[in-house]
Amino acid sequence: MRIGFHFLLMVFIALLTGIGLSYFALADGGLFGAYRINAWTAWPQAGSPNPDPYTRAFVARSGALQLGSAEGIQFVASRDSEGQLLQRTCNYRLMGTTPVASFWTLRAVATNGRSTTPRGSPQNLQSNRLSRTNIGAAILQVGPELAPQNWLEIEGEGPFDLILTLYDASIFAGFGSTISELPTITNKGCS
Amino acid sequence: MTRVVLWSISGLVLGLIIHLTLILALPHFQQNAVWAKISQLGEPGELLTLNQSLTDTENVLGLDPEMAYAVCRFDLSIGPGVLSGPLPDDFWSIGIFDSDGLAVYSTTNRSGVGKSLELGIFNTLQTRLLAEQQIALQEGLLIIESPQNEIFAVVRLAPPHPAMRDRYKDLLKQLRCGHLDRNDITSGIGDQG
Repeated sequence: MRIGFHFLLMVFIALLTGIGLSYFALADGGLFGAYRINAWTAWPQAGSPNPDPYTRAFVARSGALQLGSAEGIQFVASRDSEGQLLQRTCNYRLMGTTPVASFWTLRAVATNGRSTTPRGSPQNLQSNRLSRTNIGAAILQVGPELAPQNWLEIEGEGPFDLILTLYDASIFAGFGSTISELPTITNKGCS
Repeated sequence: MTRVVLWSISGLVLGLIIHLTLILALPHFQQNAVWAKISQLGEPGELLTLNQSLTDTENVLGLDPEMAYAVCRFDLSIGPGVLSGPLPDDFWSIGIFDSDGLAVYSTTNRSGVGKSLELGIFNTLQTRLLAEQQIALQEGLLIIESPQNEIFAVVRLAPPHPAMRDRYKDLLKQLRCGHLDRNDITSGIGDQG
């Protein structure tokens, strides 16, 4: 009887550890292979021919077209800079600089990959088409309520992800700029 | 109490083994892989411009709505793959991916290719024949070696403005995608692929 209890305890811990570790390694990108800074996560080896096993599993699980390492890199944020899940009923401000790239795009998607931007509205922000200050800085606003500067409208309820795609980026090529240059995501209030 | 701790440690070790097994096995059992989705879209050698509607719905391929996409699947056992045609002055990029969705090769407009793309994709055997000069090709062909026969190419164009998207999609449709035939090759590579 006692052996049975111990055996069940071992199986429970094994399943919890095995499945839990795998989930956090791939879904949240926090354990191995992923690069995290502020709220953003990227898989730098997703565009290389021989990635590590975690990146290989991430690519297989995502089922999405990846960017080759020469083409660019994609960052995903599921949480704001305070660590709270991004919600479609909230308004967010993105401030800061981005690594050197030919250009970048920012879009908002639901957890199933569907765009959270209303049909007919611009589906993304593009770095070459932004309103900027005199010193070249751009403030990005993401939320359901109309906002000044550069506004990416979202609709609906529930969590969403922000996807920042840098094209022709040099951040992992060893020159140009550093990975520390990514915008912060600040919650400006929820409706 | 000691036994509980020992059984718990055993559980942790077994959990780590399960974790590593899951990570290593996932690419082999993932039914949602990008190759399966690309294969459903068309045959090898068929150029496909990905529709914007894909981004309006589930966006299963994770497309960026800013970009115009074309995809071509190759089966190098038929013969070396070729991707050629005009390219715009603005940003473009090309990625060659294997059936696991991993990049074999990628480049952008900064590579100095110019406004006309001539890309040849060869498997290991074909590359060896090429090196032994048993295949003669047109000059100017950018040669890529692929370790696998089943691969696909993704061409991304960046229209400067959304209003120019249709023009860029037309440009994508002018790309030639297929396999080299005997008119392109002086030695019969098709017999040996």
